[in-house]
Amino acid sequence: MESNSIIVSRLTKKFSFSAKNASSGWIKNLFFPEKKEIVAVNDISFSVKHGERIAFIGPNGAGKSTTIKMLTGILFPTSGMVTILGLDPTKDRKKLAYQIGTVFGQRSQLLPNLPLTDSLEFFGVMYDMSDEEIQKRIRELTELFDLGSYISQPVRKLSLGQRMRAEVAASLMHKPKIILLDEPTIGLDVVAKKSLRDLLLKINREEQTTIFLTSHDVGDIESLCDRTIIINHGIVIKDLPTQDLAKTFVYEKYIDLVAQNNFEVFPKLPNGIRYSLQEKNKVTVVVDVNQISVQDSLKILLSLFEVEDVNVYSADLETVIRHIYETDSIGN
Amino acid sequence: MMKEFSFALYAIKKNIQSSAELRTSFLLNILGMSINNTAFIILWGFFVKSVGVIGGWTVSDIIGLQGFVALCFGIVFSAGAGIRKLADDTASGAFDRFMLSPKNLLVRVATSSFSVSALGDVAFGIVCLGIYLVLIHASIIQLMLTAFLILITVIVFLSATIAVYSMSFYFTDADSVTRSLFELFLTPALFHGGAFQGTMRFIFTFIIPSLLIGTLPVEIVSHVSWQKFLFVSVLAMIWFVVSLGIFHHAIKKYESSNFMTFGS
Repeated sequence: MESNSIIVSRLTKKFSFSAKNASSGWIKNLFFPEKKEIVAVNDISFSVKHGERIAFIGPNGAGKSTTIKMLTGILFPTSGMVTILGLDPTKDRKKLAYQIGTVFGQRSQLLPNLPLTDSLEFFGVMYDMSDEEIQKRIRELTELFDLGSYISQPVRKLSLGQRMRAEVAASLMHKPKIILLDEPTIGLDVVAKKSLRDLLLKINREEQTTIFLTSHDVGDIESLCDRTIIINHGIVIKDLPTQDLAKTFVYEKYIDLVAQNNFEVFPKLPNGIRYSLQEKNKVTVVVDVNQISVQDSLKILLSLFEVEDVNVYSADLETVIRHIYETDSIGN
Repeated sequence: MMKEFSFALYAIKKNIQSSAELRTSFLLNILGMSINNTAFIILWGFFVKSVGVIGGWTVSDIIGLQGFVALCFGIVFSAGAGIRKLADDTASGAFDRFMLSPKNLLVRVATSSFSVSALGDVAFGIVCLGIYLVLIHASIIQLMLTAFLILITVIVFLSATIAVYSMSFYFTDADSVTRSLFELFLTPALFHGGAFQGTMRFIFTFIIPSLLIGTLPVEIVSHVSWQKFLFVSVLAMIWFVVSLGIFHHAIKKYESSNFMTFGS
């Protein structure tokens, strides 16, 4: 199905705040503070097709959460337009709520003092589901998310991993067409992360739910998302298939040199080769293959260092993403 | 409308269950609030006994005033305690979850929390009004007026609370601002009704609706004043509409934040 679930057009969000003016007295600062403005999201546009799995990533303060909050109707945009399943979140907040599910990694929507089953039931009642529908859906989600062993425990007694599974399950009670997740794997251990990713893939496959997630975890992006949108300083700087993201810096090769004895000096490198890591037992260099071949680089490096082992590899996704953030920051 | 009402009742039920989980706190709160309120009324009793009748107000009128105020306070803040948490919710970003709800925003906010201690006020209010009605040898008309006025005082109290706590969206230090504004509304409502004459009466009737939840209802019941009853009813409706307008305007100022919060 090719129809768009999400359309974002020239979306901007500005926040204003009072700031202390160092040159003014405290009375003036108290009663007439200076007003400052920050542009959290700056004129961004993109669209998401039904059933797509999108990673919406960027460094801290890039505008990810602000964007997701505008998509869900929590924040009102300063300008621009958002359409989710044909609805405007600023005008159709209630209608939209029936169509979307949300998970905020740092914010629980569950009832802390009551058993998890009460929270799921609460969501069902909130979404006008009948008693039969609620019980059926709780059974489905209990099976899908393997909640059985702790569904009768008060939410505040759950581990973080259990709670996150429960959060996602609760957000899916009403079978939303889109699920928006803001850092859903934050603080989870590797097992819990994998389990949550598998579940999200499963609901995407079985219920064709569109997934739109923000995360700092490369694993979430690699294993979950077929497309990645990168935002920095409130601007979309990349929008491409996730598999192409890894090829973004394909012209760069990394070479690890493990010291036979400790490296004592780190000589100047020729054009096209630069240090990425300088340690006594290990050096990592980055080779720009547009300037110098890997073979020539190895010859030079082996003449400069006495090595026990050599490892040549392309940048992993985390390095690529870090590189994109850094390049964009320098550009700005 | 029925769906909203039905959900509100369900949410209140869940809140009570959630509070009842903490039984000791539940019972201690009710006991504590009852003792606190009784001490207050004894204080006013001694005041009237020593100073005498002021502005035609007797001890029974003061008991009636405490009854009306405690009852509307208790009803609004037991079932709708969520409104009182707006300052915290907006500062921490916990208000996000209400924006994501498919229900009426105000109903969702109000029913998101339940105040156990406010049940003590409900019980205290009922007892006070019962004593008041016995002391004034209330007629059937006065009993009916009291019943209607309980509803009206609840509407005024709810409206004032909505208006005050909507300020949470406009100020950074919303907690202290809303607390001060709320005290400005509630404290005069508990004062001796005979103290409000002339300009003070005008201010605390039309600008700050403190007298609408205690003093005026007592005067209406004591003197069976239909004119004042109509006047208070109309003001209650105006306050309700205005407070809804303030709330819906205010939420557009919401800026969210990223603190860790729990649901309800």
